[in-house]
Amino acid sequence: MNCDDVTRALGEGSPSRLEVQDHVRSCNRCQELVNALNAPVAVDSPSPATLRQITESIIADLRPVRPVAPARYLLAAIVGIFAFIVSIAVYQLGPRAIAVMTPLQTVTILGALAISTGLLAYSLVHQMVPGSRHRIPPRLLPVGITFALIVAIVVLFQFQSERNFWGNAWGCIRAGAPIGVLSALAFWLVLRRGAILSPGMTGAATGLLAGLVGTSVLEIHCPNLDAAHILVSHLGVAMLCALAGLVIGMATEAKRSTVDSLFSANRKET
Amino acid sequence: MFPQGVTPRPDAANNPQMESALQENVVPRPPLAELDCWMARYQQADPDAPAALVLALSPALLRFFRSQVASREQADDLLQETWMRIHRVRHTYRPGEPVLPWIYAIARRVRVDGYRRTRRVALREIAMEVLPELPAQVQARNPGPTFDTLVAGLPEAQREVVTMLKVGGLSLEEVARATSSTVGAVKQKAHRAYERLRKLLQIQADDGAKGAAR
Repeated sequence: MNCDDVTRALGEGSPSRLEVQDHVRSCNRCQELVNALNAPVAVDSPSPATLRQITESIIADLRPVRPVAPARYLLAAIVGIFAFIVSIAVYQLGPRAIAVMTPLQTVTILGALAISTGLLAYSLVHQMVPGSRHRIPPRLLPVGITFALIVAIVVLFQFQSERNFWGNAWGCIRAGAPIGVLSALAFWLVLRRGAILSPGMTGAATGLLAGLVGTSVLEIHCPNLDAAHILVSHLGVAMLCALAGLVIGMATEAKRSTVDSLFSANRKET
Repeated sequence: MFPQGVTPRPDAANNPQMESALQENVVPRPPLAELDCWMARYQQADPDAPAALVLALSPALLRFFRSQVASREQADDLLQETWMRIHRVRHTYRPGEPVLPWIYAIARRVRVDGYRRTRRVALREIAMEVLPELPAQVQARNPGPTFDTLVAGLPEAQREVVTMLKVGGLSLEEVARATSSTVGAVKQKAHRAYERLRKLLQIQADDGAKGAAR
């Protein structure tokens, strides 16, 4: 046992191990660290007036509330919305891409989209409830999913030279973006039941999920298998929606901050 | 119910209760089951519940804010804002889930919003006045090294984790939940924080030795 092991043990929350105790007793440097962590904390208790003011303002607006639904119901709602919109859109447009893709391409790309959807839905359900357990940091998830999908598309599909690249791309974006917007509205109806603490982060994740509805529809419908086309116009829909979600979320955050500062100033005056 | 004044500093070297030494800073709190029960009653609009929760949790929340922001007034504002936000989103607490990560996740967000607001105001006002240096102010108030002055040298994310662990008394799992992070990431931040504290203490000791030699 050395000083680094002690630091590691402290970081892992296991300072009471016997070897750690023995080392700390015999090492001045570690004793210093232990004492530092145990340095006095000035006890600033809130004033009774502040506590009374907080309690009174809460009691003035006290009414019963129903706790938010269990995570599995919310997850089912989000996945259900996703599946419902994809089914309706594919029914309307036709599954033309399935006929031209190889089974490997079909299974892999649709599997990747399904996994991405599941992970994003799971993350969003947990973002709705403060203090939830996150197995993947929600800040990294949209970036990771986008990167994984880019890799999957580049590996599965070939880059071909297209005559009317931007015209075809614009056609797919025009078809996919409204589906994304519609999905985002439907997801918002579920998300508003929770408490969104970081609107920017949640907005980006919701936008990406809504965009993936559009991407999934295009992947099943569009028979163009050029990798560049899929990246720009199919995955592009998801990325555009994620960007829009991020911007809307950040604008909400800024607005909330302004409202809070006005509220705070008003409270000080009263 | 809650301690007043300053938590005593035990001598770790001669303390037979070494295993509990690292827990000394933790603010005493009511049993978790009790908090859970009060939260459920709060959701059912029991008028006794808000008072009990505010009384039980506010000292620890205030200390959490005090370790992050400079003034008592700002910390009081953040405390009030936290309770208003807790009240607005009280339906998102699921009975049976741990209360503290839920509370601290909201408090953390209020602190971030407060920090952004303060920074915006400071950017407008900084040219008008010279701001006093915080460490000097703190040291003038208390010549001994306090927990706050020690963790002040840490980056914000590490300071937050150490404060939640040592002052809030949260477990690694609870800190991970409160910060929307993983237990592994919290362990890493805590480890880096302790390493940095060790270096800071070493520098402090070296400076002290040089001063004594002069």
